[in-house]
Amino acid sequence: MSKPVLQLKNASIYQGDSLVLSNVNVEVNKGDFVYLIGKTGSGKSSFMKTLYGDLTLTEGEGHIVEYDLKTLKEDDIPFLRRKLGVVFQDFKLLTDRTVNENLLFVLKATGWKDKTEMDARVEAVLTKVDMKTKGFKYPHELSGGEQQRVAIARALLNNPELILADEPTGNLDPQTSIEVMEVLQEINKNGNTILMATHDYALLLKYPSKTLKCDDNQVYEVVQRKG
Amino acid sequence: MGSRFEKDQKRRLISSYFSVVLSIALVLFLLGLLGMLVLNAKKVSDHFKEQVVLTIYLKESAKEVETKQLEKSLALSDYVKSIEYVSKEQAAEIMKAENGEDFMDFVGYNPLQNSIDVHLKADFVTSEQLEKISEEAASKNFVDEVTYDNDLVNLMNDNVKKISFWVLVISGIFTLIAVLLINSSIRLAVYSKRFTIKTMQMVGATKQFIRRPFVWQSVRLGIIGAVVALIGMAIVLYYLNKTFSELQLLSNPVLVTLLFVGVFALGIVITWISTHIATQRFLNLKTDDLYY
Repeated sequence: MSKPVLQLKNASIYQGDSLVLSNVNVEVNKGDFVYLIGKTGSGKSSFMKTLYGDLTLTEGEGHIVEYDLKTLKEDDIPFLRRKLGVVFQDFKLLTDRTVNENLLFVLKATGWKDKTEMDARVEAVLTKVDMKTKGFKYPHELSGGEQQRVAIARALLNNPELILADEPTGNLDPQTSIEVMEVLQEINKNGNTILMATHDYALLLKYPSKTLKCDDNQVYEVVQRKG
Repeated sequence: MGSRFEKDQKRRLISSYFSVVLSIALVLFLLGLLGMLVLNAKKVSDHFKEQVVLTIYLKESAKEVETKQLEKSLALSDYVKSIEYVSKEQAAEIMKAENGEDFMDFVGYNPLQNSIDVHLKADFVTSEQLEKISEEAASKNFVDEVTYDNDLVNLMNDNVKKISFWVLVISGIFTLIAVLLINSSIRLAVYSKRFTIKTMQMVGATKQFIRRPFVWQSVRLGIIGAVVALIGMAIVLYYLNKTFSELQLLSNPVLVTLLFVGVFALGIVITWISTHIATQRFLNLKTDDLYY
C-alpha cells in the first residue's frame, strides 16, 4: 500500500499563541475526497494553513506529500506548495493580469520554460473547468463562480498530489456552489486527492464522502446518516 | 473591455510611478549639485583667495633697477600668482576714477607712491604666510611699506572652513533624505501589492522569483529618475560654466564624469536595496499579519 498523501499524528495547531486544535490524527489517502467541516472559528482554516505551510506545526507529527511539516524549512515551502493545489474562499487570483497570464505566472514561477508547452497546459486546465473561452478576461470581469473555476484550474496546473480547498464555495450562491462542486467531483474522479473545508452542509448531503469535523479543539471523523 | 481596462490601469500606474520617478530625480539632482559644489569647493575658494592683494609701496628714492629686480624675484617665487606694477600716476588715475574728483587739484601734487600689487597663490593666503612674505619685502631698504587686509584673509579662511564643513553636513543629510524618500516611495508601491505578493507565494513561487520583477521595475524607475537628474545637472553645469567661466567647472572631465556615473549608480543602488528590503518584509510575513 502506498503512503498516505497526508498524515497527522497527535498534532497541535496553533494560531499565534492560542491553541486551536489539539491531538489531531488525520490520514488522507490517494484518490480520497475528504470534507473538513465545523463552525466558523473552529479551526478549519488554521488546519489548512498548517498544511500548506502558512502556519508552522510545532507539536506532533505531520507528513504531507513527502514533506515533514515539523522540520519544514522556509525555503522548502514554495516547493511543498507546488505539490499541492490550494483553492481559497476568496479565489486569490492576481487582479492585475488576465486569466491566461494568471496561469502562465504560476507555470513560470514553478519552473516551466517552453512557451508552447505552457500554452498547452493552460488550455488543458481551463478546458477541465470549462473556462477555455474566457482566458483573455481579467478576474474582475468574471463572476464569482467563474473566478473560482479559474482558481481550481490554477490549482491543477502542476498535477498536484493533493488539492486543499479552503471553503471554495463560501463566497458563492447555492447554484454556483453546486457548479464548482461538480468541477471538484470531476477532478476527484480523475484521480486527484481533495481535502475540502466547508460549512455548507447542503453540499455534504448532495455529495456524501468521508467527513472530518472540527469541534471543541478536536478533529474527529463523523459518519453521515443516510436519509 | 480588456483594452480599455488595460489603458486605464496603465495610466494609473504611470501617474503613480511619476511621483516616484520625480522624487528620485529631484533628490539625485540636489545630491548631484552638492557633489559638484564639493568637487569645486576648493576651486571656488581658491578663486576668492587669489583676489587678495598684497601691496608693496616703494620709496620715492627706489631705483628702477631695484624695482625691476624685486618684481622679477617676486614673479619667480613659488607663492606668487601674478604681480602688477602700479606707478603713482596710474594710482592717481584709479583714485580719480573711483572718487569722481581730482584730489590733485586741491593737494597740489601727487602724494601717492609707486607700488607693486602681488596676488598670491591660494595655498599661501594664510596670515602666517602673508606676514612672512610681507616681512621679507619690507626688509628691503627701498620698500616703504607692505599692506594687506589681514582681517579679510582671516575671515576668508575661517569661512572656507565653515562652509566646507556645512557643505559636507548638508550632503550627508541630503543623502539620508534621498535614501529615506526613495525608500518610502518604493515601500508604498510594494505595500499596495502585498496581497498579490502573498498570492504568488501561495501558488509556489519562490521569494526570489517574486522579488525579481519588483526589483527590476524599481530599478527602471531609478534609472529614469537618475537620467532626469543627470539632464538637470548637465543643464545647470552648462549655464554655470558659461556664467562663471573663470571657475573652470569643467576643467576636470574625469571627476565630472565620475560624479555623473556616481549619481546614476546611486539611483540604481538605492532603488535596488529599498525594493529588496520592502519586498522581503512582505515575503516573510504570514498571511494573517498582512492585515495589520
